[in-house]
Amino acid sequence: MDNVIATGLIGISLGSQYALLALGFTLIFGILGVVNFAHGGFYVMGGYVAYYCSVVLGLPFPVAVLAAAIATAALGWLFETIILERVIEDHQATLMVTMGFYLVMATAILLLFGPESPEFSFPITGVWRAGGAYVPYANMVVIGVCLAAIVSVYWLIYRSGIGRAMRAMAEDRAVASALGMRTRALFPFAFALATGLAGLTGALVTPILALAPHVGDPVLAFSFLTVILGGLGSVAGATVAAFIVGMVEAYAAVYLGGSKGALALFVLVLLILVVRPQGLLGREVRRA
Amino acid sequence: MSAHPTHPDALRADSMSKAFGGLKVFHDVSFTLPPAGLLGVIGPNGAGKTTMINIMSGRLPLSSGRVLLGNARIDGRPVYANAAQGLVRSFQHTATFAGASVGDNLTAALRFAKRDRSVLERLAPLLDRFGLIECWGRHAEVLPYGLQKMLGLTMALATQPKMLLLDEPAAGLEKSERANIDAYVGFAQREFGCGILLVEHDMDLIRRLCPQVIVLDGGRLIAAGPPGEVLSRKDVIDAYLGGADEEDCDAQHS
Amino acid sequence: MSEEAAITRLPQARRPGLLGGYEWATLCVVGLAFAVPVLTRNPQILSQTNLILIAATASLGVYIMLRMDLMSFAVPAFMATGGYTVALLSLRLGVTDAILLGVAAFVMPALCAIPLGWLILRLKGVYFVLVTFVLTEIVQLLLFEATPLTGGSNGLVGMPAVTLFGIELMDNSQVLLTTAGLAFAGFAITALFTRSFRYEFAAIEKNDVLAESLGLACWRYKALAFSVAAGVSGLAGFALVNMLLTAHPTSFAPMSSVTYITYTIVGGKGAILGTLAGAALLVTATDLFALKGELSPGLFGLLIIVVTLLARGGLIGLAAKAVGRLRRASPGAPARVAPITAVPARGMKS
Repeated sequence: MDNVIATGLIGISLGSQYALLALGFTLIFGILGVVNFAHGGFYVMGGYVAYYCSVVLGLPFPVAVLAAAIATAALGWLFETIILERVIEDHQATLMVTMGFYLVMATAILLLFGPESPEFSFPITGVWRAGGAYVPYANMVVIGVCLAAIVSVYWLIYRSGIGRAMRAMAEDRAVASALGMRTRALFPFAFALATGLAGLTGALVTPILALAPHVGDPVLAFSFLTVILGGLGSVAGATVAAFIVGMVEAYAAVYLGGSKGALALFVLVLLILVVRPQGLLGREVRRA
Repeated sequence: MSAHPTHPDALRADSMSKAFGGLKVFHDVSFTLPPAGLLGVIGPNGAGKTTMINIMSGRLPLSSGRVLLGNARIDGRPVYANAAQGLVRSFQHTATFAGASVGDNLTAALRFAKRDRSVLERLAPLLDRFGLIECWGRHAEVLPYGLQKMLGLTMALATQPKMLLLDEPAAGLEKSERANIDAYVGFAQREFGCGILLVEHDMDLIRRLCPQVIVLDGGRLIAAGPPGEVLSRKDVIDAYLGGADEEDCDAQHS
Repeated sequence: MSEEAAITRLPQARRPGLLGGYEWATLCVVGLAFAVPVLTRNPQILSQTNLILIAATASLGVYIMLRMDLMSFAVPAFMATGGYTVALLSLRLGVTDAILLGVAAFVMPALCAIPLGWLILRLKGVYFVLVTFVLTEIVQLLLFEATPLTGGSNGLVGMPAVTLFGIELMDNSQVLLTTAGLAFAGFAITALFTRSFRYEFAAIEKNDVLAESLGLACWRYKALAFSVAAGVSGLAGFALVNMLLTAHPTSFAPMSSVTYITYTIVGGKGAILGTLAGAALLVTATDLFALKGELSPGLFGLLIIVVTLLARGGLIGLAAKAVGRLRRASPGAPARVAPITAVPARGMKS
């Protein structure tokens, strides 16, 4: 029983990380209509910026994490304004440029830091025990930060003026423009917010899991998974899906071993597409 | 509302309702278009007319109610299935294939509707009148708006439909070009025995062509009958108060 | 309505050729590949030509779907299906005839693509991107996990040489001939397929809502194209496995899907010649500049961005524009009437 609970706690920990990643990805997809192929790149970048700040520059870890989030948000903002904005109406083109950008980012990181995994570990070690269940302090911090970030993002999107504007833009860009909302300024903001979230997650998670130039690759597959499961453009759906994925992965890793968890998830996705293609909370998906 | 005797091959809307989330687009709309009949649909902007065509052609699902073609229920069926049954719609904004010539556009229409070239030959007088034969080899997207519009309409006709749903065919046309719509509608009814649902803002056109008209306002059907009668009703005029159509009517009378 | 008694004549319908200009040109170029092993024994050149042909054929899987504005990441998955099918047939069942294996390499992925196509091609286009990407990841995982069948992380090693009419095709030149044969088949199939359905594909790409409202069941054509694309990718997988004499998961890595897309986009997604041009250019460039494997993704990324922002039609598109400018005759001449070609254009797409 303790094993079940312990695994469940790992699942929640994973789920919160995934939720933060999924949130950023779904934000961009829902509001800009863009499949951000570079999402994993910002995640890795966040990890390396945090590593650089805390290990090479010797700054305290929270500062490093903040720096990572700001750096990725800034890069995201620049990318959106300079490159993405030019092709934003064209779905295929946006996929292409984000894809190209991811390749450039991954190669740049490789050139700057080399292919080996740097020494980067979470500053807080130790484990919290209660009965037979245990959770590493690191994971608890991550869960805490992630939940705080998720709540803030929700507040921003659902309760603030900017959030309302972004949601209006997601519904109908043309109408939102006509109503005077400054779509030109909001897109970079939304993009930067999402990439900042990815960077934040990278900064927090890579010291626990792994930091290397290629760790961004699986992020994309997993982001796609949560989007399909949760429903395209549904922020709430993506969050729920992320936790489901976290749980499935945790239990599969413990009880099935190997990559069976990933396989199980993929099969689940295919099933969903047959039975309920709009995902958990998505809207109509037959071609409009 | 006036009742048409329900002919086996009629297009019938039965208590159609559509809502997007909380937004009600139209509610409890019912009417019948008999085969080879001609029914006008008017109403101020935002009354849900284009959505109605989208639903009847199969592009959007109904929230409740039914659409029937003859005895078969067609709401929920995919667009291409309805088109294969002879229910075809036109588009308000130009709907042609860019990068292809006029000839290729029409060939594509024939091909997709599985018709042979003889249909095109029957359409030849109409194509000539609209000026499409002269620009047979020119790409559709470089044609003037009026020509593109007529090309789109003729492509719909090339499918040899039984029921045509026309979404504001005269929109954007010069006053001098509007007579083409009369010719188009006349041809469709005469040569193909086509039933036509005509959504329009041009009241003169409606008055000229449609023996029957229904009025949608705020998503509800508020009037039905011959245009002369319906257009002089107070509630219909009120629905349009302040609308561009008043200016339109005035401009055309002056 | 006009009352004239004269019958209005429609312009004559032109009989379109079996294949278009680009298709014939491409088949000729691929045909030239058969001459390479005759002309030279240089292993470098043989190997390079082999790689280019494999890359170009695989990229056809991307090209076919791009004709309908669908971005496929599934090429490595179907290459793996074709390659492993061939490996299993030759290792476990002793089948070595090149033609039989070639048919199997095409048919197996094409069949697998049918249920997938049915599942995802009736949904919004973006689902296609998401699911094909995830699919390639699944297949990679399966290849590693299903050890009894696929040999797991060792792969399937020690394949016997392929034979044609009893002759073993063993050395470098003969392997290149096999690849050339498979590439030619792949290109020929693609050319015939895209040419026969050029109206449908162009219509689906340009305005699928209109096509559907005229009666075209778009999703069926998409599904059919998906199957054909899968089959052609399978042929490339066969060629790859044959060149290496091994079927290994790393040959079909998920990120290689990006590489094949790059070849197609940079070469030019508007014409079948594009995949050949892109593959030839990029495979040669990576080799010529002695770029280590790690740097080429960055270069590819830059190229993709540049092409997408500045030259949507890729190399072939640029060349076509240049030729068009040179050819420009008197103003007012009617546009060259090619049956609806997917003209690469910037800007609005629904």
